[in-house]
Amino acid sequence: MFEFTKVTIDFETSHLLFPTIISCILALLGISILIRDRKRIATSGKHWSIIFSKMDKKRFFGTLFLTVLYFSLMVPIGDLWPNTGYGFLICSIPFLFLAGLLFLHEYTKQTILPVVIVALIAPTFVWWLFTDLFFLSLP
Amino acid sequence: MELFEFLTPLFVLLVMGGTFVGIIFGAIPGLTATMAVAVCLPLTYPLGLENGLALLLGLYVGGISGGLVPAVLLNIPGTPSSITTTFDGYPMSQRGEGERALKIGIFSSLVGGIISLIALYFFAPALADFAIRFSYVEKFLIIIFALSVMAALSTDLLIGIFSGFLGIFISLIDTYDVEYGGNGNTRLMPESLEYWLEGGFSLLPVLIGIFGLAAILHEAEAGVPKGMSMKDLKVSSKNKFSFSIFKDQIVNLVRSSGIGTFVGILPGVGGSAASILSYTYAKTFSKNPENFGKGEPAGIIASESGNNGLTGGALVPLLSLGIPGDSTTALLIGAFTLQGVQVGPLFIGNNPMTWNAMIVAMIIANFAMFFMMFYAIRYIVMIITVPKHILFPIILMMCVVGAYTINYGIIFDVWTLLIFGIFGWLAKHLSLEIAPFIIGFILGHSSEIYFVKSLESFEDLSIFFTKSWIAVVLWVLIIGSIGFSVLLSRKKQDNTANEVAD
Amino acid sequence: MRISRRLVLGAVAAAALATTSITAFAGELPKNVRMVIGSKSTGGDTYQNSAIIADALAEKLGINIKVDAVGSTEGFKALKRDKRGSTIMMFHDQAYLGELYGRKGYDDPFTTYKIGAAVAINPGNSYLVAKDSKYKNMTEIFAAAAAGEKIRVAIQPGGVSEIGFSAMKNAAKVLSPGSEVNLVAVKTGSQSDKNQAMFDDLADVINGSIQANEQFTQLPADDQKAMRFVWVTARAETLDQAPAKGMGDTTRDQLLAYANPKTSVPLTKSENFTFDKEFFLLYNKDMDEGMVKQIDTALAEIFAEGKIQERQKGSFFIPNFLPSDEASVYYMGKRDIYRKIIQDITK
Repeated sequence: MFEFTKVTIDFETSHLLFPTIISCILALLGISILIRDRKRIATSGKHWSIIFSKMDKKRFFGTLFLTVLYFSLMVPIGDLWPNTGYGFLICSIPFLFLAGLLFLHEYTKQTILPVVIVALIAPTFVWWLFTDLFFLSLP
Repeated sequence: MELFEFLTPLFVLLVMGGTFVGIIFGAIPGLTATMAVAVCLPLTYPLGLENGLALLLGLYVGGISGGLVPAVLLNIPGTPSSITTTFDGYPMSQRGEGERALKIGIFSSLVGGIISLIALYFFAPALADFAIRFSYVEKFLIIIFALSVMAALSTDLLIGIFSGFLGIFISLIDTYDVEYGGNGNTRLMPESLEYWLEGGFSLLPVLIGIFGLAAILHEAEAGVPKGMSMKDLKVSSKNKFSFSIFKDQIVNLVRSSGIGTFVGILPGVGGSAASILSYTYAKTFSKNPENFGKGEPAGIIASESGNNGLTGGALVPLLSLGIPGDSTTALLIGAFTLQGVQVGPLFIGNNPMTWNAMIVAMIIANFAMFFMMFYAIRYIVMIITVPKHILFPIILMMCVVGAYTINYGIIFDVWTLLIFGIFGWLAKHLSLEIAPFIIGFILGHSSEIYFVKSLESFEDLSIFFTKSWIAVVLWVLIIGSIGFSVLLSRKKQDNTANEVAD
Repeated sequence: MRISRRLVLGAVAAAALATTSITAFAGELPKNVRMVIGSKSTGGDTYQNSAIIADALAEKLGINIKVDAVGSTEGFKALKRDKRGSTIMMFHDQAYLGELYGRKGYDDPFTTYKIGAAVAINPGNSYLVAKDSKYKNMTEIFAAAAAGEKIRVAIQPGGVSEIGFSAMKNAAKVLSPGSEVNLVAVKTGSQSDKNQAMFDDLADVINGSIQANEQFTQLPADDQKAMRFVWVTARAETLDQAPAKGMGDTTRDQLLAYANPKTSVPLTKSENFTFDKEFFLLYNKDMDEGMVKQIDTALAEIFAEGKIQERQKGSFFIPNFLPSDEASVYYMGKRDIYRKIIQDITK
């Protein structure tokens, strides 16, 4: 239409075009938020300290820790018996048990027993369902 | 009757099973319809497309509907879209009309679901026929329109837009894939991380992380509050339910379902907007608006028919344009890609059987939901009492299974799940808006391809305005929605200013 | 703590069971094998072909073989990691074409991996024009290019989809030196993107396949979506082995009219270009030679029985078995031919 609207896209560098545009827009938006909410942002330290003081640290970080451990062990253990899904099975049982205990409030025989049962049955069932029935890969 | 081949006992069973599980997910505060679909998605692969969709659509309808149970009984919305149900449902159950409130909600849900289904059935094919004329240029503008609508309805306009663009940005951390016409180069990552990031973050692990893991992290942060016991719940049947209540509520029912459907059709707008909008309308047009919030049945009717109206509506843009109507339908895209079926303008024409299967599944799901909840409401109420220390570890495990199997065994997907679980937790505390983020993330790739390819083919920026009359209409819509959102945020600011002045 | 002891015992027992079953015979494939494929689609030809082979192989060897559609990048990664034979890969000519076109994530497959047995050919790679296009066949296209008309060809860059386009450019150069610049690539992605490029009038010719595009060729000419084949890249000898009823409403004889020698895309003055998309296995460089032999023998028996050919032809694949060492030599030769074409046109 007009000369100044003409553009040529170099295919070899075209992978950077859109990310660059989006980055610029994102930066602009970020700056406007910084300016508009500067007061709120300045006091964000307090915001976070309130969050952390209210937090149930044992359960929150416990969940994170268990999850990370669970994810990292699954593959190396599964690699001992490739393509069988045992890594998933062997890691899931203790994970479910420990996470159940972590979330539990009162430790009595009546409350722990269901946790144990579920920790044994649920992963075994899922493992069977996926590897035997659905024929999908598990770690 | 070749087109109804899919209708097997298994199909019906899957819809009903899905609806049942969905109701459970919806009824447990903290678990959502989206999460139900996310966790069950990998199950659908071996089921095949029609049967897989049967399960997922059942989950979707059940999940949206189940949310009214805790909303009425505990004053906690089971899913975000039941927020307005708490306004009148909880006061009613405190008055001892719990069962009546629940049944009003259940019937309204059914009506909302059916009305929106009718709209879906007639609207989607028409829109899809039209959409074949959309080239890269128009498709790009459609996405821009979707993003602008989404921004307009977020709580904070600026942060809503920011979240949307952040979603696009994160979706671009990958390889500009040759499969979509790219040049196969990586971007936005240091070389040392290329080994992990070159495939980018897959959609489903991201969604499972944000909706599944993050929800559990939030609960853990709050100390995993103990569940309710049966004693805490009041389902007394003082003041019995009867259908006569709906006699002078027909207008409200139809209007709210219509609003829900319409909001569903707008891409990227979540369920809460549907119920809030229909609730506001019901209140405005009511003869006695002062009763709203104090246990007015009309409020429950508006809220529940509105959020179930969403179910059909949200499928319209998905099936006619390939753009998800809300975060749950976004997950359905995953189900289609899992089966190698592309959703887009040609979908309905090319897959008439799948299309029929979806409609039939939705009909069955709606009625299954109604009968299960209406006649078994007292048992469903017990679901709220399942202890979380049993439920959450299982959900965590299912998240892992989901993330790992979705791309046939790529362990980075499991780490993606963790990264976005933590991101989802952080986002809530940073008051980022999740819905625009997700929509941005989902549409990021297509918007890039459409944008870059438009310029590559036409070599002219003005093409976005001059390509066709459709492009012009889309621009009008985009400008309209931006104008509307600015107006809306002005009004919000005025309101807060007034409140401060008061 | 009775329960946790039982748990440990159970785990140990399961572990013992699994280890014995996997390490029992050295030089044989493990009990559970994962076949990764170079495509992310479970609806595409690579998956279909792999499923057929995996089924037959698993039955013959009495093991489990799982096909995982992880895509080329993740597939190569998985293959490099695993020397024990519990991961094998199924891919096609893209494995070396990717490297020739300089695509990221592709190494020289002949030195990085071990080339396994060849199993099948997909004769479907083809080029199409719109039904109302002014170009009726390849001859007219080359003539138009020679006359200075710009012809846009929609392809997916960097592989099987581009090789035919490279050949077209090469042919234009052979027929009328200098005219190859008039053949321009429109770089798009999946098949539906390429189709859409034609519907939107962004491309004159598109790359496609007999399987995916045949339906469009049956549409009436006034339909915006109607197409016509102009070139099928497969060798005539390959196409000849396809079922006589062809694909959909197009018979084998009709298809042969679009292939060499009836449709000619010159490679040199005397020779025509052809391209068969061939599927073969890839193994880890250090996988046990015994396992390679085991797969070769098993496949040889399977193909000798003759049942698998029926299944392959049913899905429009041409059976093509070559044991590992023959396949390796054959594909190296094939690679050299295409390397030369690519070098010639980029000069």
